[in-house]
Amino acid sequence: MSRVAIVGIGHSKFGRRTDVNVGELAFESIKQAVDDSGVDRKDIGNVVVGSAGGWYEESLPAVVVDEYAGLSGAGTMRVEAACASGSAALKSAYNSILSGETDVAMAVGVEKMTEVDTPTSVELIGRAGSYMWEFENYGMTFPAYYALYAVAHMNKFGTTEEDMSRVSVKAHHYGSMNPLAQFQKEISLEKAMGSQVVAWPLKLYDSCPLTDGSAAVVLASEDAAKKLTDTPVWIKGVGYSSDTANLSRRGDYVGLQAAVTAAKKAYSMAKVTPQDIDVATAHDCFTIAELMAYEDLGFCKKGEAAKLIREGQTELGGKIPVNLDGGLKAKGHPIGATGVSMAVEITKQLRGEAGKRQAPIKNGFGLMHNIGGTGHYAYVTILSRS
Amino acid sequence: MSEAPSLHSRRALNLRFDIPISKTHEFWDALKRGGFVTTKCSNCGNVSFPPQADCPRCMGSEFQWVDLDRDATLVTFTHVRMTPASFADSDSYVIAIGELSEGLKVLAWLEGVKPEEVRHGMKMKVEARTSKEGNPYYVFVKA
Repeated sequence: MSRVAIVGIGHSKFGRRTDVNVGELAFESIKQAVDDSGVDRKDIGNVVVGSAGGWYEESLPAVVVDEYAGLSGAGTMRVEAACASGSAALKSAYNSILSGETDVAMAVGVEKMTEVDTPTSVELIGRAGSYMWEFENYGMTFPAYYALYAVAHMNKFGTTEEDMSRVSVKAHHYGSMNPLAQFQKEISLEKAMGSQVVAWPLKLYDSCPLTDGSAAVVLASEDAAKKLTDTPVWIKGVGYSSDTANLSRRGDYVGLQAAVTAAKKAYSMAKVTPQDIDVATAHDCFTIAELMAYEDLGFCKKGEAAKLIREGQTELGGKIPVNLDGGLKAKGHPIGATGVSMAVEITKQLRGEAGKRQAPIKNGFGLMHNIGGTGHYAYVTILSRS
Repeated sequence: MSEAPSLHSRRALNLRFDIPISKTHEFWDALKRGGFVTTKCSNCGNVSFPPQADCPRCMGSEFQWVDLDRDATLVTFTHVRMTPASFADSDSYVIAIGELSEGLKVLAWLEGVKPEEVRHGMKMKVEARTSKEGNPYYVFVKA
């Protein structure tokens, strides 16, 4: 099979970005990615924009972003897979190169979540399920969906609120080293444990913030990549799956079946095992989500995620460092940008450009785990130096 | 990051949807009478909850209405303390997923139980309610 590489990366500052509109925000990442790759913009045959939308003024973000960055004329579309829209954009751009349609494509992720007030954002994300049966009469919120999983996981495996808070402390620790992160301050376990309850057992410090941000990657075919860069990062495995819109139609609430399936597909395609992964990003929209990801990805056995975080095995120096960029919790979670941001982070790690957050790269493999909604969509992507 | 100048748009967008329920209105009509029913596929016998006119298992579109058991066992729950914009009149509520004896699961508010008294495996019962707008819905109460 022909190969596709990431040859350029770009990443905006994440946070409350009242200084830019959606086009300006995307431009920050697109410009960096174009410069980093050295590609001529007219050679980019396809621009796929991941954005959930609805909380900013533009209905057609792809054409707005493309026009602002001088990319009009390329094939383009906006893709939506909720919080995994970025990985969906990456996959779509990757496919357009694999199929031979174009030699160079770009995946852009962008979200502007703070142009509406917070209760409206909470409302829009709360509708991310099966509206009639979960929201209309019951007012589910995004933390509430994950809280249903947290309670089940606590009940079955003895996972504690403190275990979840440990994930938050770790996220803020690495966020403090990432100048692009929304939050760059360390927090204590006591502070996390004592924060306001939003949907018991999940607290404010178990929850990712509302974030504005963008990220972009340039992808190239093997021939084009060799002309553009000496440090290509190859897409080795792409796995994806989905689950029911309505949570009540699922078998259990202690893991995300879609993530398990996506991971199996990605490992099989890349011909690697969880033990071969040097560094990973996990979709920690809520702390329980990161713990379930350890299990769903096979970094530990089912039910042993709490042990993994307690032992520090997912920190730098541990068995499998996870979210050295601060994760969604501290870096921020601009819905459609997150998957592309993960690709930027893993590319940096595999290139050895992550500075003091750099993981030791032994086998040359990095993994990104990107979930949309509450396990509604799952994308697992494996990148490699060779 | 400090607040930068922004243009507060003049055009408000107020969305309210008219959601079609013609194929499953019997579910809501039954609730109004205090009943709790769902769809059973006439072709393959698959029982769905929530009700749906078209069978997700065999794709058949003929179905009959069957009574559902109202007894449920709590599988998981949460206590929502930060509520969405359109639930601003509620301070907090408990949401539970309960499993019916048929193996089907239902998500609904659990009413009349203090959040700290909610337990895994507790027995609940489905009850019909009417919203102040006159729309029927259902909740769990302690059995």
